[in-house]
Amino acid sequence: MTGVTGFVGEALLHRMLSEVPGVRVTLLVRPKGSTRGTARIAALLKKPIFAEVVEASGGIEALMAARIGVLEGDLADTPELPAGLDAVVHCAGDVSFDPPVDEGFRTNVVGTRELLARVRDAGPDLHYVHISTAYVAGRRRGSIPEGPVDLEVDLEAELAWGLSQRRAIEDRSRSAEVLTAERKKAEKAHSRAGALTAAAATEAARKEWVKNELVAAGAERARSLGWTDCYTFTKALGERVVEEHARTHRASIVRPSIIESALTTPHPGWIEGFKMAEPLILAYGRGELPEFPAAADTIVDIVPVDHVVAAIVAVLAHPPQVGRAAYFHVSSGDRQPLTFHQLYENVRAYFDRHPFQAGDRGATRLPEWRFPGAHAVERVLSSGERAYQVADFLISHAPRSDRARDLARRLEQQRRRLEFLRRYLDIYAEYTQAELRFHDGNTLALFRSLSEADQARFAFDTSVVDWKVYLQDIHCPAVTAPIRRLDEVRAARRKAATPGLRPLSPEKPAVAAFFDMDGTLLSSNVIETYLWVRLRELSGAERLAELGRVVGKVPALVQAERRERSAFLRTVYRDYEGARRADLDQIADDHLTDHVLSRLSPAAVRRIREHRRAGHRTVLITGAIRPLTRPLRTLFDHIEAAELAVDERGICTGYLSSSPLVGESRAAWMASYAAEHGIDMAASFAYADSHSDLPLLAAVGNPVAVRPDVTLFRHARKHHWKIVDWKSSGSSVRSLDPAGGL
Amino acid sequence: MSRPGFVLEVDDRTPPLVVHEGLGFRLESFPLGTRVVYPPESLPTVPDVDEAIREALLHPVDAEPLPSLLFSGMRLTIAFDDLSLPLPSMKSPDIRGRIIEHVLTLAAEAGVDDVEIVAANALHRRMTAGELKHIVGERVFRSFFPQGQLYNFDAEDRDNLAHLGTTEQGEDIEISKRAAESDLLVYVNVNLVAMDGGHKSVGIGLASYKSLRHHHNPQTMVHSRSFMDHKKSAMHHSAWRIGRIIKDTVKVFQIETTLDNNVFGKPYDFLMKREWEWSVRDQASMLAMKRGLSVAPQKLRHKLFHDLRAPYGLTGISAGEVEAVHEQTLERVHRQQLVEVQGQSDVLVLGVPYLGPYNVNSSMNPILATCMGLGYYFNSYRHQPVVRKGGAVILYHPLNEGFNQLHHPSYVDFYEEVLAESTDPAVISAKYEKQFAEDEWYRHLYRTSHAYHGVHPFYMWYWAAHAMDHVDEVIWVGADRKVASRLGFRAATTLQDALEMASGTVGSSPSITYLHNPPHLLADVR
Repeated sequence: MTGVTGFVGEALLHRMLSEVPGVRVTLLVRPKGSTRGTARIAALLKKPIFAEVVEASGGIEALMAARIGVLEGDLADTPELPAGLDAVVHCAGDVSFDPPVDEGFRTNVVGTRELLARVRDAGPDLHYVHISTAYVAGRRRGSIPEGPVDLEVDLEAELAWGLSQRRAIEDRSRSAEVLTAERKKAEKAHSRAGALTAAAATEAARKEWVKNELVAAGAERARSLGWTDCYTFTKALGERVVEEHARTHRASIVRPSIIESALTTPHPGWIEGFKMAEPLILAYGRGELPEFPAAADTIVDIVPVDHVVAAIVAVLAHPPQVGRAAYFHVSSGDRQPLTFHQLYENVRAYFDRHPFQAGDRGATRLPEWRFPGAHAVERVLSSGERAYQVADFLISHAPRSDRARDLARRLEQQRRRLEFLRRYLDIYAEYTQAELRFHDGNTLALFRSLSEADQARFAFDTSVVDWKVYLQDIHCPAVTAPIRRLDEVRAARRKAATPGLRPLSPEKPAVAAFFDMDGTLLSSNVIETYLWVRLRELSGAERLAELGRVVGKVPALVQAERRERSAFLRTVYRDYEGARRADLDQIADDHLTDHVLSRLSPAAVRRIREHRRAGHRTVLITGAIRPLTRPLRTLFDHIEAAELAVDERGICTGYLSSSPLVGESRAAWMASYAAEHGIDMAASFAYADSHSDLPLLAAVGNPVAVRPDVTLFRHARKHHWKIVDWKSSGSSVRSLDPAGGL
Repeated sequence: MSRPGFVLEVDDRTPPLVVHEGLGFRLESFPLGTRVVYPPESLPTVPDVDEAIREALLHPVDAEPLPSLLFSGMRLTIAFDDLSLPLPSMKSPDIRGRIIEHVLTLAAEAGVDDVEIVAANALHRRMTAGELKHIVGERVFRSFFPQGQLYNFDAEDRDNLAHLGTTEQGEDIEISKRAAESDLLVYVNVNLVAMDGGHKSVGIGLASYKSLRHHHNPQTMVHSRSFMDHKKSAMHHSAWRIGRIIKDTVKVFQIETTLDNNVFGKPYDFLMKREWEWSVRDQASMLAMKRGLSVAPQKLRHKLFHDLRAPYGLTGISAGEVEAVHEQTLERVHRQQLVEVQGQSDVLVLGVPYLGPYNVNSSMNPILATCMGLGYYFNSYRHQPVVRKGGAVILYHPLNEGFNQLHHPSYVDFYEEVLAESTDPAVISAKYEKQFAEDEWYRHLYRTSHAYHGVHPFYMWYWAAHAMDHVDEVIWVGADRKVASRLGFRAATTLQDALEMASGTVGSSPSITYLHNPPHLLADVR
């Protein structure tokens, strides 16, 4: 048996061990990392459903010795099968609907072919049972017979094409066009943080591009040949491989439809992981699925997993004749159809009785579905996506504020919701319109041929399922239970979480705290401070002229700021040309102290002082010129600021004596500073406010985003960084009006 | 002739009365029977200020005339009260500047070269150049400031402090070295209220933390009943002990001035009138101002109020020996501010205005508002508090102005860290005072920026210690609830709610007294 770690495989193993005494099962298991196959099976047997069997046989080891053989290996490189097998069940497969095309072919076609070769090697009369899917019928309509899919596809050609796609697409992803486009996008978003950050983003984007292209290639090829997606397409090709094998050997193909939780065995509602319908059921319960693109009368073909497993056992017991494969649909649509409308009604009824508690805001409001048709839903969704794009553009360009951050947070929720909807609607759109009924005459005949006792033990007549009971009392409670537990844990965690920063513990030496200045420690910026310094030297009329000149330059400066922080700083510092360095210091001491101190955030100062008390080294890193940092010098052990270059007369040239410390150069500087002072960066802290400080924050183990801009805010949330709100007092110190005189 | 102060009993003909609350005021209808204490109207001012100053300097009380104390080659120091007085700041020219000019003229005539002018700001913030100029006047500023001969006292400049010994009770006396080593120390005061002046001028205004901590503490403040009455104030007793020793070392020539009650200039003078005497024009002004304030943003309201300069007039000036001078001064202050009130009441109502001594050109943070209400206004009594022991105080202030990070950095931390843990002055004092007083960062800010000393918020809290000890209930009307509870108090939306809340302490029909200030008043409770 293959695929024992999967949902069906596990259920099948359980059924074999508990209901079919005397059967010895050999499992083909892939070692996972350093875990050997035997250990994986031992771990599997610890699950509660096996408890009874394990106990009956006196422990896991005893059970494994008596009834289980482990064959370590991979489908890509199937080992030789042991002698004495009666049948082989192939449950393994890629269950993702949109696998990268090469992976789809490798698991579903190549894997099957390899296994079958081994099956033929192992003996002439092995019964091979292939677990496929009812949806290999693809886009065909109406009643689907239990027989081969009529396809006119050149298997070998498709296989060769599919396997070569990774190579081809990887090559294409490195072409100049793709890289240029991705780099431009990344630089637009990340250039302020620095070239390396942008490069990393470009490479990440390339990999993402490869993945998407592989998925798209598979899906498109599948659709062009009449399948819904790469999964059903490759599964169908896999059946072709089995059919070839069946000409000379015994082979059965079991085609379940959508497999969901167990009706009775091992216990009602037993399910492992999330299958096809669960994300939708949960999203509906959360109120996040406003509508569905299905038609109300379309059939959703669901089968409980225990029926599938029972059918497989029955098929195993009835090997067909050599020459032609036997087909069995395990499905419900033909004789006990469940329509989307019924599904909706039952799920809704369940959530009406047992709603999710949305935090502390009471029960979630459930959307009412009207089944307006796929087009209407698509329209709503795509206008939602467009609205999101517009809002995203606006919010990314909005000046930073609490409001912008709050909007960004809500927008992020909206994005996740839209992405979820888009993904599921794209994948399921085909299935929701699949007006096909799977004929299950063979399966029913097989069931009826069983003895009455066996019919009771191995029930797989799907017409007995009462959908109301199954959905409301079995399936929904089972799939929502883990979510409810998670919600409780989350709520408890939320209650326990203390807002703000944790107090510092002094035990660790060699810790440093790095602080950015503008925007983090104080609500000021380079232009403002520049004006402060310059306006001091000028008379009334000159002040106005200077103000006017600077206002005129604002658009250019804002552009420069968005593009690259160091270019921006250089542009601003050009304006210091002609100022006397000594005067700047004097002005800073006389006037800027007030300007800086009155804009200083009290919480920031408290935190800096806390670091000092804890014995940490405090470091200020800023792109501002050194005179401006003078008021803060007593708070820091080290201040790294920009130095204005001066000529021999002590007059500023308007250039800096070295490059301003921004973006990645900050991280590099921090690394060398840490090396010099023996500082443990992983235990250190950094505080900054803007996207350009990303490398600074990422360089330490405890990054804190302070009133971040939207981009940094998003990054910080994604990486679970602390976000704090250090407000500077919006005090009304009137005597400090820069343009007015005192 | 100005009318004396009086106590109004609210009856059904009484119009709503003005109550100050931060950057604004409200018209409140008090319950019938409420006693409202009005200060006396402004006393007549001296007809010729320059003449009065000359007269005082040439004919001082219990001292030689100033010219005879001045001689060539001497070291002369002139100290003056800082911007915490008067409130609001006086319209130019400030009386202190005029007096200093007279003193300087006499000194020049006597050939005195070594003159320094020091602002006696103790642990208050350094004043800016503009603020100094406003007090001493343009001429004095121009002649002394650029040379560094006009400056703020620095209580943390260890090299320039002199320890003059201790009192018989072991209190350290440490004051400005320059003042202590001068041949003559002239102190120019503005005696706005009864607590100012006397030995408090030099002994506190030019002293360091080492000296101040002996009387600026919860024990002393609880036993200062009140600190507006120096004979019954433990704080003043300490200051007097210290002052008497200073007097033995330094020759002090004290000049004290008293002002009238002319706090609000036109067009806001209606705020000083009795409401039932408002003319149509006053009513229109009031309406316009109230409407304007209600739509103005906080910043603008702040500017509006803090730009007000009081048209104070001089009611008298005395010079000479400290105690003799102060006796005359107090007599004038009492004449201007004292109102006799018969017996205590259950509830005291106070409107806390936009301004106190420590937020000139700054913001009235919650700690300062507490100090203003429970410190200064509560203590505006002689003999016994206006409210009975175990009574309730109802204050009006929104408590929403926040902190000025430039002026009050240690206040922010006091609020966030100290008050979060305890609001008991004794506990706070024992646990945190030293730490704040000796903090390097606050010291740095006090010395180089314009910050109040690290320990200053503690003193503000001690100022209120007597009130917190005396009453059982403190309720702020119209205040930010979170802030009020951080301070250890409760907040109410209206006076009616506040009275309802206080009914557990004082019953459902308590006797109520409302002190209608500003203008300044001192209740003489019999």
